[in-house]
Amino acid sequence: MTDELLVVRCQLGEREALAELVRAWHDPVWTYVRRMLDHGDADDVAQEVWLAVVRGLPRLREPGRFAPWLFTIARRAVTNRLREEYGRQETTTASGQVTEHADEQVVEDRAEVMADRAALVAGLSGLPLAEREILVLFYLEDLSIEDCAQICAIPVGTVKSRLSRARRLLREQLGERGTR
Amino acid sequence: MMDADDMIRRLSGPVSLRRRMAYVVALVMGLGGALAIGLLWATEERPPPVFGGFAVLCLAWACYGGWALTRRTPLFALDRVIGGWIAVAATWPLTLLTVALAVDRPGWAGWAGAAVNVVLALVAAFVLVRARSARAALLRRKRELGG
Repeated sequence: MTDELLVVRCQLGEREALAELVRAWHDPVWTYVRRMLDHGDADDVAQEVWLAVVRGLPRLREPGRFAPWLFTIARRAVTNRLREEYGRQETTTASGQVTEHADEQVVEDRAEVMADRAALVAGLSGLPLAEREILVLFYLEDLSIEDCAQICAIPVGTVKSRLSRARRLLREQLGERGTR
Repeated sequence: MMDADDMIRRLSGPVSLRRRMAYVVALVMGLGGALAIGLLWATEERPPPVFGGFAVLCLAWACYGGWALTRRTPLFALDRVIGGWIAVAATWPLTLLTVALAVDRPGWAGWAGAAVNVVLALVAAFVLVRARSARAALLRRKRELGG
């Protein structure tokens, strides 16, 4: 069954169709969120994404363009979460209090990164956010250049140059890991 | 990691049909109740002050229903049709009642109330017609896609 048909059935109000849609797209959404956030908030953010998707589905004009729309919502949720985190980090740094919790988080992050089996995925965590995002969308989520451009709200040419820079950075990262 | 079935369970609240229809009922009945009580209050010679309290209570429910429907929960095509029917079922008898009241107790307040109710009834009918045509269009698209 195509995504468009699933979305149309959801818009009609068929609950089974919504369950099928979540089953089909939960893993890609979770993978994107996990790779962008690098820690255990992925479940909460993925839930925020799905709540926004469910609320927005009745207004989706082009059911055939579900995937870019879904990742645009996911990107917004990730951006909001990162903004909150940076805000918290700045407050903590300004007051000179690095909490025990933050240390635990770092240790946890390292443990999780070490647990990642694929070298590509492990290398991703060392890349800047913009480059990491474009690699995740293009290679892990199999989205087209045009869809990536729509999701990131940037021109197609910028997606291509960002992809090229991301590949170079990833190659360097993997090279460094290989020589250690 | 949360799996898809966990996520579906977590989403069961916002997509519960009963909950969404409860919001529609809160909106329609709150609005209708506030209008009816307001009209009674305006047409009584010595209205009891408790009418004001009831009207405010009804308005509060209407606001809550409206907020929940626009901010908290989705309304799919079938929900809109059901919601349209609820609005029609609530506003049309109320309109007849207020028109009868205006005829029985002539005065500006009675006619103003009746006019507002007529507008509400027409809006409800329009909402229902639009919801039905939107659902029909989606059903056509579903058939075209082989569903």
